Amino acid sequence: MSALVIILIFVVSTIVGYLIIKNVPSLLHTPLMSGMNALSGITILGALTTVSIMTKEFNAVISGIVGGLAVILAMINVVGGFGVTHRMLKMFNKKGSK
Amino acid sequence: MSEFELFYYIICGILTVTILFGISLMSKVKTAVMGNLISAIATAIAIVVTLIYYDILSQSVVLTICLITLAIGTYIGMYVAKRVKMIQMPELVALLNGFGGLASAIVGACTMFTSKNNFELVTSILALIVGALTFTGSLIAALKLAKLMNGRPVVWNKHQLITTTTIIFIIITVVLTVVNRIYDLEIPVLALVIIALALGSFFGIAFAIRVGGADMPITISLLNSLSGVAGSIAGMAIGDILLVAVGGIVGASGLLLTQIMCKAMNRSLMDILLGKTSVSTKVTKTVVEHVKVEEKKADVDVSDVLKNAKKVIIVPGYGMALAQAQQLVKQISDTLEKNGTEVKFAIHPVAGRMPGHMNVLLCEVDIPYEKLYELNDINDEFKDCDACIVVGANDVTNPAARDAVGTPIYGMPILNVDQAKHIIICNYDLKPGYAGVENSLYKRSKGVTLLLGNASVTLKQLLNDLVEVNVKKQENKSTSELLKQAKKVIIVPGYGMALAQAQHLVKQLSEKLASNGANVKFAIHPVAGRMPGHMNVLLCEAGIEYEQLYEMNDVNDEFKDTDVCIVVGANDVMNPAARNAEGTPIYGMPILNVDQAKHVIICNYDLKPGYAGVENPLYKRESGVTLLLGNAGETLKNLLSDI
Repeated sequence: MSALVIILIFVVSTIVGYLIIKNVPSLLHTPLMSGMNALSGITILGALTTVSIMTKEFNAVISGIVGGLAVILAMINVVGGFGVTHRMLKMFNKKGSK
Repeated sequence: MSEFELFYYIICGILTVTILFGISLMSKVKTAVMGNLISAIATAIAIVVTLIYYDILSQSVVLTICLITLAIGTYIGMYVAKRVKMIQMPELVALLNGFGGLASAIVGACTMFTSKNNFELVTSILALIVGALTFTGSLIAALKLAKLMNGRPVVWNKHQLITTTTIIFIIITVVLTVVNRIYDLEIPVLALVIIALALGSFFGIAFAIRVGGADMPITISLLNSLSGVAGSIAGMAIGDILLVAVGGIVGASGLLLTQIMCKAMNRSLMDILLGKTSVSTKVTKTVVEHVKVEEKKADVDVSDVLKNAKKVIIVPGYGMALAQAQQLVKQISDTLEKNGTEVKFAIHPVAGRMPGHMNVLLCEVDIPYEKLYELNDINDEFKDCDACIVVGANDVTNPAARDAVGTPIYGMPILNVDQAKHIIICNYDLKPGYAGVENSLYKRSKGVTLLLGNASVTLKQLLNDLVEVNVKKQENKSTSELLKQAKKVIIVPGYGMALAQAQHLVKQLSEKLASNGANVKFAIHPVAGRMPGHMNVLLCEAGIEYEQLYEMNDVNDEFKDTDVCIVVGANDVMNPAARNAEGTPIYGMPILNVDQAKHVIICNYDLKPGYAGVENPLYKRESGVTLLLGNAGETLKNLLSDI
């Protein structure tokens, strides 16, 4: 995939994301931020790929240590982020239905 | 492009749109839970898709590593998500953010070894640098928020020069990396990785250490943005379009939040980055003196002001979070509403330490979000409100923002608290807020009540005053009537009577009641007071016949036939929680059955739990209980004169 296309994808997704997120009221800024935080753990995809590439290029030990660390960190980010966001939102919602 | 690849790209496109859809659902409370779930599921699918696309499933070694680490990460993540308290949310967000950044940095570092062209090389070293600075910056922010580190901005000698130099070195390193490749300078990649890692990490520290507490909302938002950008660049390095797209979205959201926060704090992003944060810290003594006088004057009428208010606006700030006073805020709001007062909450966008911080805290204590209003929605209502309660907020209420040209807060949007008819400020002290600009509200002579100190203490006092006012209003009519008509009265003395030296008043009261034809008995709990038989001694001293004093077992069955029971400074010994609150220190303790009396008059100093620390449910009983709070000497005197 050419560099140009990749950069184009970056620009488009950034703009679309910006426009959508603009609608989120300040009431929900903390959940929004922690949700986005969870999504930034999407780098997990890169981490998984790295494990694969590193194993091929070097050996399983290096890949396990370095790539594995990346996977663990990214996964904590993803799971912790979504989990905490869920907890918070449920808290908001509980009151809403009252 | 093979069909397999095409299929992969289509799936990536769908997942991106799904995530965007999930985010768009986050704009309403009702749909936000679903939105978050959709994003989470899309992420999970993306992980599976990646495992398939890069053929990881067929490589047993790689697969094992991936599955084990995924499991470890999931476990830790779930643990964290479950255990964290709402008050710790800012530091958690910062910390998790840092993890994501570090993961991106590692991906970038690894890709530097395997990059096939200059684009990959540049993006991987950038991912490494941005990821590293996100990590160290977030770590510092988290430490500051968790108060493991001093929250004040730390400015090094020649800080500006140091950061600028670091940026220049970073640029040099990136250029060098490319030159190294093109002209084969034979600089080992590992060396470049280490240099880039060091520079990035250092820049993160230098940048975050200079940001002080109140600028944290901006910093966290910015770091959030950076972690997305780091992921996105890492995605460019490995050619993963899903990573590029989602990272970009996160970057945009963080940037948007950063903008909102900056605007709300009247800061330019550059100023924050360059550390032009807090200004002067001078405190004028004159203001402090002013207050002492006002405090006294104000204490008298503050509860009346609230009691008679038709509309009250509460403005929470970081001080509320620090004092953990949100529960008290809720109680005050409930009490006011019971009086028929309309209560609203005004939330400034940068109140607290992260975007939406106050909303989370207030929501945690069951304040419905419909009552939380944003700056623009409520600012016109201050002029119609009878009272405004400020809890630990300063700069966001400072009228100086309107006219003090040249000060850091000039032009910052503020809550029009000064337009309220009466302002009650529960701040810790009179020091200027984070921006270092004195708040002219503090000096206003009319319509401002300052309740200084820890908000949880001052609010409790306020609440007690309110409750007292409430109680007095309804009871003044009935209590004396009840006592006059009572055929049988039991008096329960406790240590509070001893403290107030009120035994003589108790005797007068009992004589008065007896002369009205009531049968008066005293119920003495074995541990009432500070020594065995303490109460008996005191009552005898006052001249009460010992035949009137009854031990617990002898009198306990009589409470249910009693018209009125008067409790004087006793708490734990008549706390009904002892019967059923398992696990509390008083559970199982024998108590006086005060709660069985037809009407209970409690003359205690305050509503705090007694020595055992267990709340007394009697205080909250809706009917048949009269609370006369304050020194028993005073309250009993009032009671006497009423009869």
